[in-house]
Amino acid sequence: MKNMEGEYFQPNKIIFNQTATENFEDATPVLGTHDSFTMESIPLKPLLDDTPVAAIDISSIKIGETETGVLCAIRGAIVWKKKNRYQYLRLGPFPFHLTEENKKEIYNIFRRYSFKVSEYASAPSLLNMQTRIGNLLERWLQLGISCSAYDSVILWDGSLTAGTVDSPVNAISQLLEIARNRLNTILAFSKTTNLRLLGYRLTDLVEKSDPPCLLQINGFPIPSGPVFPLGNVYVAKLTHGICSFRLDIDKKVPRERGIEAVQKLLGSDLLIQSYPETLRLAHIFSTFTATEVIGIQRFIAQQYGLKIIARPNVRRLLFGPFGKGSEG
Amino acid sequence: MRLYKKEGNTIQILSFPSDNVEKGDYLLIEDPRVNKKLITQVIDVQFASVPGLLEELLRDSTTEQSVHGEVFDPLEVSSHINHIQDAWMLLCKIRGTIENEKLGVNVSWLPSRSKSGIKKFSIPSLLTHMINNGNLPINIGETKEESRFTINAHDLDGKLNIVTGKKGTGKSHLSKLLVLGLVDCGATVVVLDLNGEYTNLGFSSNGEKNEYHDRVHVLTPGASLKVSLAQMDLKVMLNILVHALNLPGTSTREFRRIWRSLQQRRAFTLQELGEAIRSWNCNSHVRDALFSRYYSLLNSGFFTDNVAEATTFEKFFEEIRKGGALILNLRDVSSVDRQIVVEYTLGKLVELLSQWKIKAVFLFAEEAHLYLRETYWDDIVTRMRHFGVFTTFVTNQPDTIRENIYRQADNIFLFNFTNERDLETVSRAARVDSETVKSIAQDLPPHYCLVLGKVVKDFPMVVEVRAFDVQTMGQTRLFFTDKN
Repeated sequence: MKNMEGEYFQPNKIIFNQTATENFEDATPVLGTHDSFTMESIPLKPLLDDTPVAAIDISSIKIGETETGVLCAIRGAIVWKKKNRYQYLRLGPFPFHLTEENKKEIYNIFRRYSFKVSEYASAPSLLNMQTRIGNLLERWLQLGISCSAYDSVILWDGSLTAGTVDSPVNAISQLLEIARNRLNTILAFSKTTNLRLLGYRLTDLVEKSDPPCLLQINGFPIPSGPVFPLGNVYVAKLTHGICSFRLDIDKKVPRERGIEAVQKLLGSDLLIQSYPETLRLAHIFSTFTATEVIGIQRFIAQQYGLKIIARPNVRRLLFGPFGKGSEG
Repeated sequence: MRLYKKEGNTIQILSFPSDNVEKGDYLLIEDPRVNKKLITQVIDVQFASVPGLLEELLRDSTTEQSVHGEVFDPLEVSSHINHIQDAWMLLCKIRGTIENEKLGVNVSWLPSRSKSGIKKFSIPSLLTHMINNGNLPINIGETKEESRFTINAHDLDGKLNIVTGKKGTGKSHLSKLLVLGLVDCGATVVVLDLNGEYTNLGFSSNGEKNEYHDRVHVLTPGASLKVSLAQMDLKVMLNILVHALNLPGTSTREFRRIWRSLQQRRAFTLQELGEAIRSWNCNSHVRDALFSRYYSLLNSGFFTDNVAEATTFEKFFEEIRKGGALILNLRDVSSVDRQIVVEYTLGKLVELLSQWKIKAVFLFAEEAHLYLRETYWDDIVTRMRHFGVFTTFVTNQPDTIRENIYRQADNIFLFNFTNERDLETVSRAARVDSETVKSIAQDLPPHYCLVLGKVVKDFPMVVEVRAFDVQTMGQTRLFFTDKN
């Protein structure tokens, strides 16, 4: 941050009530129609054994622009439920001034901690840096929880798809293995999914099943290319209501243990609209509100003497009232 | 503090709790480009409408109830976020301008939003910019800055004033302060004292005589205040009969004739009046009506045939020529007798003023609706004012004072009101906008008063009324006093 003292900065125009950029949840490409599959509905019974449940989520948001780069902030949240009590740890907000000069250093610091790798990787473009460092922070938190929790259900926001730049297969496999070794089960909930079967959205297929249940789809083709699913894909309908979610369970966890973990979740956590409360709280605690964005802008302006400037909106200049949408 | 918005004569200023601004405070908006300053007064302090605040509060309320945790915030960004959450929006009214160090009312210009500096403007500083109309100060109390707050007696001279506020806020205390302040300035004051609260103004709290003792005269109707028929003017007597005793028109005409006959015979005694009614050649109903009024006059104890016993206002006014107060103690006086006394007193005052026997009188009327007849309200603000009766109404029921009185009031000393209807009534005063009245008066603590009008050159000011060493009689008698 210190590399920007005295610079001018253009605060980002936040579209209020819009949540900050989240880590992408569904890296699996859209699947075409496929006829060699089977669907199995698995009824669930809550297991009331008070299993600890932990959830991780992060948010990142663009705060503004400077003459030399981008200002963004990230924040992580870990929520756990133990003995009928929710607790949380919020980390951040951490503001960053990302420039062409420092992006590689920042990116690799995050990689080193999150993936335990020492070799330098080239940094993404400034445009993608915010998302990338957010995802790396999330992996680091996931790693921390996997290492510290024992015999727990760990909830991730997103899928267990690996093979992307943010989720190297080796790193994610290693993360899952650490969790397995400590008898933890990772359940990854995706709020949205692009997966479709016979033209239907995957999460719509469970509509007629009685909750709580899982819908297992057998015979999904393993996509070619770098993207690799490390989990079995289910559709989870855990309560009555209109919502169901894609649920990925670590492939290397025996099927029964995976289903048992969902049943433990049912018995140990509160579920509203099929979504675990622990994960919902993690999302709430990490998300940036508009007030916080203003607060961070104030912090940056005061701490580093940034002068706020209003850059003309090109779209507005060119198209007047028709120049809607973000600039660019 | 930053200038945010202007609508009409209302200005919104973004502020933070550290600015320590309160309702009633003055702010100076200084535009260095044009070398002009805008004087505004804070009439309300609201939370700034910060986007995303609802989400923030919802999240915090979840945390407070059932979720416990920690925040790892090494950069302490949260303190800045809390700062934003606590942001205030000050609702201010434009009161005037300072141009070339001179106070003005020209507010046709708008200060720059980006360049203007905003700072608190203390009342003492504001007062230094005001042109002083004279040198007869009356010390009212203290401003928020703990500086002495005085008004000028000249600004009460020839003016119509209202002291109002709910029970127990200190109205009577202030009006006593005004009475003594005027006495100090050499004025003649008459108090229509409904509850006998002013009767001990001449004594200190320890019961000893104070500096005002010889200048305060208490007149109690039926005791120290008695009049003979010879002192009465027919017009005043007819006013008493018609307005206080509801004498019908025909009977009034007969009474006028009786009075003239007594006048010709120079036989102005109660006994002669009774005899005249008895022997007067008139309808028996008229006679009965006149007799019933005659006995009312007789039973009031206000009239006497003993000339030595009769009070002459002229004598008292002569005694207080260099400043003093006549207190008409109306306590324990029946409603009808009260009206008789007030009719007589006001009539007598007008008579003395019109004959230039006295220069002018400051009349303090507590809860005037209880003894002032309907037609007097207009009379007081028009005709009697020209004669030199300058009235101050003191009431805790503002709706008992007519709207036109508020509209024509020159000064209002407003204490706390919580009832919106009461505030609505007072807000009809022409000297200030209704928002100021409603917003500031609602939050005034006891003994704090919002001063409006000419005494403050139309710059409303909140003042803490000072204490003074006078034996108070306005305190309510309590049953459980000894049980504490």
